[in-house]
Amino acid sequence: MLKDLFVPNAKPRPSVFLTMVGCQVLFLLLLWLFYPLQLFPTLGEVGTSFKDLVTTQGLIQELWASLTTALGALGIATVLALGISYLTALPFFRPIAYAASKMRYLTLTGLTFFMALLLSSGHQVKLSVLVFGATVYLVTGMTSAILTTTQEEMDHARTLGMSEWRSFYEVVVLGKLDEMLEVVRQNFAIIWTMITLVETLYQSEGGIGLLLYKQNRYLHLAGVVAIQLVILATGAAQDYLFAFLRRLFFPYSELSTAK
Amino acid sequence: MADHSYKEPILTLRDISMQFGGEVVLRDISLDVLDVVRPGVNQGQVVGFYGRSGIGKSVLCRIIAGLLPPTTGTVQVANPQRPVCPGDVGFVQQRYPLFNHRTLLDNLLVAAQRKHALTEAKVKVEDFLARFDLAQHRRKYPAQLSGGQRQRAAIAQQLLCSEHLIILDEPFSGLDIAMIDEVKKIIIEVTTSNELNTVVIVSHDLATTTALSDTLWLLGPERDAAGQCITGATITKNHQYNLAEMGLAWQPGIQAKPEFVQLIEHLKDEIRKS
Repeated sequence: MLKDLFVPNAKPRPSVFLTMVGCQVLFLLLLWLFYPLQLFPTLGEVGTSFKDLVTTQGLIQELWASLTTALGALGIATVLALGISYLTALPFFRPIAYAASKMRYLTLTGLTFFMALLLSSGHQVKLSVLVFGATVYLVTGMTSAILTTTQEEMDHARTLGMSEWRSFYEVVVLGKLDEMLEVVRQNFAIIWTMITLVETLYQSEGGIGLLLYKQNRYLHLAGVVAIQLVILATGAAQDYLFAFLRRLFFPYSELSTAK
Repeated sequence: MADHSYKEPILTLRDISMQFGGEVVLRDISLDVLDVVRPGVNQGQVVGFYGRSGIGKSVLCRIIAGLLPPTTGTVQVANPQRPVCPGDVGFVQQRYPLFNHRTLLDNLLVAAQRKHALTEAKVKVEDFLARFDLAQHRRKYPAQLSGGQRQRAAIAQQLLCSEHLIILDEPFSGLDIAMIDEVKKIIIEVTTSNELNTVVIVSHDLATTTALSDTLWLLGPERDAAGQCITGATITKNHQYNLAEMGLAWQPGIQAKPEFVQLIEHLKDEIRKS
């Protein structure tokens, strides 16, 4: 029962585990409520600020604007990254994937400036920076997944009389789709990191990043914490959604993992 | 009258050598598998293939399966003989790979569709599911199958799409005695269902494999006149055993015969020496 929570690799009952998580969250909230840090806003202040952000500053609308931009960027970046990664089957394209992966070291500010020179509208700049940023991270993760393909897997497809392209399609494209979705899930967070920065540079379309920037600027710490918690909750919901999609479309993907 | 005779070649290896980065792994391997004919029996061929771990058995299997071009030499299959291509020879690798993203039914269908239209492929697959005692697992993914079920599925998949040749890499390793009997039954069923069906068994289980085989190959280093090992493993004429000619093939209960026991001891000595 309870002692299972402290035994390595133990499998506590779901009800026990959920109760434990609930208690941990409650403990943190109580700690926050009764022992507030001097610099950190109290739970009450954050609650009040959250209410104010929703009712007077359009938090939900700004969140929606950021979310749709992020999803749009992620969609485009995923298609691009899949294309670049799958093309590594052809030696001619391998340098492109290698270069794309290394471009994640480029700084966002310099990149934004460069994009602004190339593109006319603020929205396009914002979207292209996000797409670029997400693509280079996705390519890194996706090529790593592709590189885990073993000789045995490819030989297996070949012994079934499949051509090289068909073997690649069966083993790498179809066989690793679930891993690709996992790579997308893991890298979605990077878009949230970037979007808050990009929205402060291009303020015309608003967004939760701009709202956060304003709270920072006027030293509304409670507002900052409230927005951060909203972003955290949105990210957790996204993770859950991706895990759900993975279970739905790729039911085999979790069968061989340790429970 | 002899109880068996030989007809056309099924598998021919000529002067196979293989080097990796200048290191000779295999050299001068020439082998023939001929269609053995027994009156009143659909008799396929079973070749037992032995050698110490790391000697190059898997490399030779990949060459025979057309997955790895040899540095020199040729592999010919089928009748009339032609150079081997990937897909001509079924190869069930040690860990019984299947497509993990497909159900068992889909795994077999994708193989059967290589030679048959969809409707016909479905009929074939149903037949194989029943023959290999896998019908109740058709909707399962490979990760949900037991080791034995997975092995049967991998063999069925290769049989559905390969020609007459199939290589089984360590088919008995890690199996309990009941499962070994089951795999033996499958091999006998495969080799007696078509005159040209040929199974090459790569194994360290000498007794079980030899009892099933009509030919044995022993891969190992050859020694020169001074007794020094020559680089690169080979299968010399002395290490190609025709069990049919020796009167040690196709006999139930052969393992109890003194000649069989002697042969196993001889094989063990040869492997130790290599």
